[in-house]
Amino acid sequence: MTTSLFRKCAPVVALMGLGLTACQPDIEDDFTPSAGSVDFTRYIAVGNSLTAGFQDNGLYLEGQQKSYPALLAEQFRAVGGGEFVQPLFPAGQENGSGYVRLVGITNGSPVTANVPGNAGRVAPTSAPYTKFTAAINNLGVPGIRLSDIETAGFGNVRTTPLNANTFNPYFERITPDGSNQTYLQRVATEATTATFFTNWLGNNDVLGFATAGGAASSLTTPANFTDKNNKVVDALTAGGAKGLVATIPDVTNIPFFTTVGPVLRATLTARNVAGVVITTGGFNTTPGMSATRRSIATTTIRDASGNGNQLFTLTASPYLPLIGVPNNGRAWRDVFNQARPSLPPIVTLGLFLALQGVDTTKQFGITAENPIPSTLVLDDTEQTQVRNATTAFNTAITNKANEKGLAIFDSNTFFSGVAQRGLVTNGVSNTASFVSGNLFSLDGVHPTPRGYAVIANEMIKAINAKYGSRIAQVNPNNYRGVQFPR
Amino acid sequence: MGGVGVGLSLDQAAMFYNPGALAMVRDRGVQVGVNATLARNAFVAEGGSQQRQLRNSTVTPFNLYASFGPAEGKFRAGIAVYTPFGSKLQYADGWEGRTSLTDITLESIYVQPTFSYAITDQLSIGAGLMILAYGSVNLQRDIPLPDSFGHVELDGKAENKLGFNVGVFFKPSDKLSVGISHRSKIDAQVKDGDVTFTNVAPAFAANFQATKFNATLPLVATTSIGIGIMPNENLTIGLDVNYAEWSKYRTLVFEFDQNVAGSNRSESKRFYEDALTFRVGGQYKLTSGLTVRAGGSYDASPVKDGYVTPETPDNDRISGTLGASYAFGKFGVDLSAQYVSIQKRTQTTQDLLNNGTTDRIAGTYKTNIVIPGIGLNYNF
Repeated sequence: MTTSLFRKCAPVVALMGLGLTACQPDIEDDFTPSAGSVDFTRYIAVGNSLTAGFQDNGLYLEGQQKSYPALLAEQFRAVGGGEFVQPLFPAGQENGSGYVRLVGITNGSPVTANVPGNAGRVAPTSAPYTKFTAAINNLGVPGIRLSDIETAGFGNVRTTPLNANTFNPYFERITPDGSNQTYLQRVATEATTATFFTNWLGNNDVLGFATAGGAASSLTTPANFTDKNNKVVDALTAGGAKGLVATIPDVTNIPFFTTVGPVLRATLTARNVAGVVITTGGFNTTPGMSATRRSIATTTIRDASGNGNQLFTLTASPYLPLIGVPNNGRAWRDVFNQARPSLPPIVTLGLFLALQGVDTTKQFGITAENPIPSTLVLDDTEQTQVRNATTAFNTAITNKANEKGLAIFDSNTFFSGVAQRGLVTNGVSNTASFVSGNLFSLDGVHPTPRGYAVIANEMIKAINAKYGSRIAQVNPNNYRGVQFPR
Repeated sequence: MGGVGVGLSLDQAAMFYNPGALAMVRDRGVQVGVNATLARNAFVAEGGSQQRQLRNSTVTPFNLYASFGPAEGKFRAGIAVYTPFGSKLQYADGWEGRTSLTDITLESIYVQPTFSYAITDQLSIGAGLMILAYGSVNLQRDIPLPDSFGHVELDGKAENKLGFNVGVFFKPSDKLSVGISHRSKIDAQVKDGDVTFTNVAPAFAANFQATKFNATLPLVATTSIGIGIMPNENLTIGLDVNYAEWSKYRTLVFEFDQNVAGSNRSESKRFYEDALTFRVGGQYKLTSGLTVRAGGSYDASPVKDGYVTPETPDNDRISGTLGASYAFGKFGVDLSAQYVSIQKRTQTTQDLLNNGTTDRIAGTYKTNIVIPGIGLNYNF
């Protein structure tokens, strides 16, 4: 103690034989990191786009480098964590799948532009991504649902036809050539040498359905979800590894669903439009069974304060100025073009519209003949389906985690709190708002680097609480929110 | 001597401690002194492990006291110049609290013409006109932008203001004296201080166009009582209690000439509480020339949990002082040293949320301050 005092203290003045010193206080020893009961030697991360570091509607190098597993691994280093390899896009391919960037703010609305991908694959039919066959620690595969983890050939480019139910290009990228290995098999292989894991699968089992306005994709059944969740956690813990699992957030709080509605409601109120007409559920492919219509009163559209219960998607934004305009079929043309790959070749635009009972000569959005397509609205019925699924999935996740004694990051509770109250990080205010809130990227679904840093911190808190470790958090303010044009 | 002096009539510094005691100071003379304040601080953010330390700086408070009056008269007059409020802290680059504060410099110089009158041989009163002759504030912090940090510097001079310092001194015997004094509050008002933004990217520049600011900082009132005990000719012991009316410091408000990030004013809660300081000190005359001193004090912090800011990372303070002076006839030299230990203080995120004070930062602070000083005096 005295020696360290002498070391730290700079003599200032000698007075009456007393060495007076200015002593630099040292409190660092009170905060020394420790591993607790966990061996962090080999950490692997299992999950989907959130785990891969997907942001701004794409997977690209910057997002990968700021993924929450990468941030966690960096913090684990101080407590015995080893090397953490991610399938990073190399120099020259750093734009990855391509992404969107902010060009500016016009009349309060963000304007974005596409940055094309440069990692091999730029469209569903083009070449696959450049392979990454080295051993990796981050197994995050954008787009994967928990229901997909036992799909054989999921990473084999020779799988035909290539569609999202049977093939995933990001999984293909990290799968050996010609292998029909399932995601679960890959996880089981990696788990044999892992000492610690995080597992955050299941978001896409509700998200795809929700972002399509309930018109496409389908919700995984709770039984299927529970079965597959049990399998993946069993595989991860088979070798005695400790870990953390995360619950699934309620997607109705993300900017993708909360940004457009308030603007629409204000606009309709100002124009004295009492309500709009939408279609709900899926589109019809049987003659004589046109898509179901619903009337949505303007007063039931959810506003910024959370009053109202009808949600409009971020993708609805371009069509709002067309509401009330006759002879406009743009929204339906776009729906048709989206649906086209999964439609029989015989279905032309005209036939598709006829099947849905749509007459685009009528006023768009306020007539039953030219309603707002289901893909742009997550109505209250669909939200109930989403919430029920989320609740069931989270029950399965927490039950299994408790059975195995794992740490749990309850992201559902956490993000609900952020949506209600915002989140202050070291004196800086953040919210769940689009662009200005710092936490969600330009796709309205995935976090920004700061959002990922916040997630990493919440996971660290859960790990510390469960395993008696003392892992330091990151400072979220050192990670950007939305990148503005320079 | 632990900062005691309200109940004593030792020298011209009585003008600061208790103007009422000046008439009892028989020596007329001049004394000047200067201190070097060396503050050392450590901070670890909540959940973090990295210790942040100040970019070390030194401030030099000074004082000057001159008194005159008839040798056998009942009154003394004098002028005092002193610096009761001041601080300078420069936090580490990129520290976690950068958006609350990066740098602060506060300076104030009081000039106090003083008159003291001995009503009887045992009772004297005194008053001084406290003039805030100079005050300046320089506050700097980083601005959180979505993808980067800007920086703002607020720099201004305070307007000249008046207050008063009054006291009563009673010395019923050679062995005992008591005093009471009151220094009034002065509101240091900065008008049209300069606002300078740097590193604000063009995309955000429209939000940061202000060039001028107004702010008011209360330099709070202090009421003190003190006792002096002189068991023999060579030994003097003082006990003081100060009562500082920090509760006047409710909020720190900056008003800007144009909107800054959407508002033309920023308000930060302080909600300080009145606080007591207890002081004890003594001096012993070893020889006709050499006097040694020692003392200590305990300061209760005016800052509540949840309200600690980087500008005053405060907590209860324990302080010890040592000093000596040597007189060569009419000249004297004083040497002193003070060591202040501000107790370790932890503020949690929950504290900030509970009080709505999330504009500052959660973490643990510890500060030590060393203050060596030197003084010269000449009596006539």
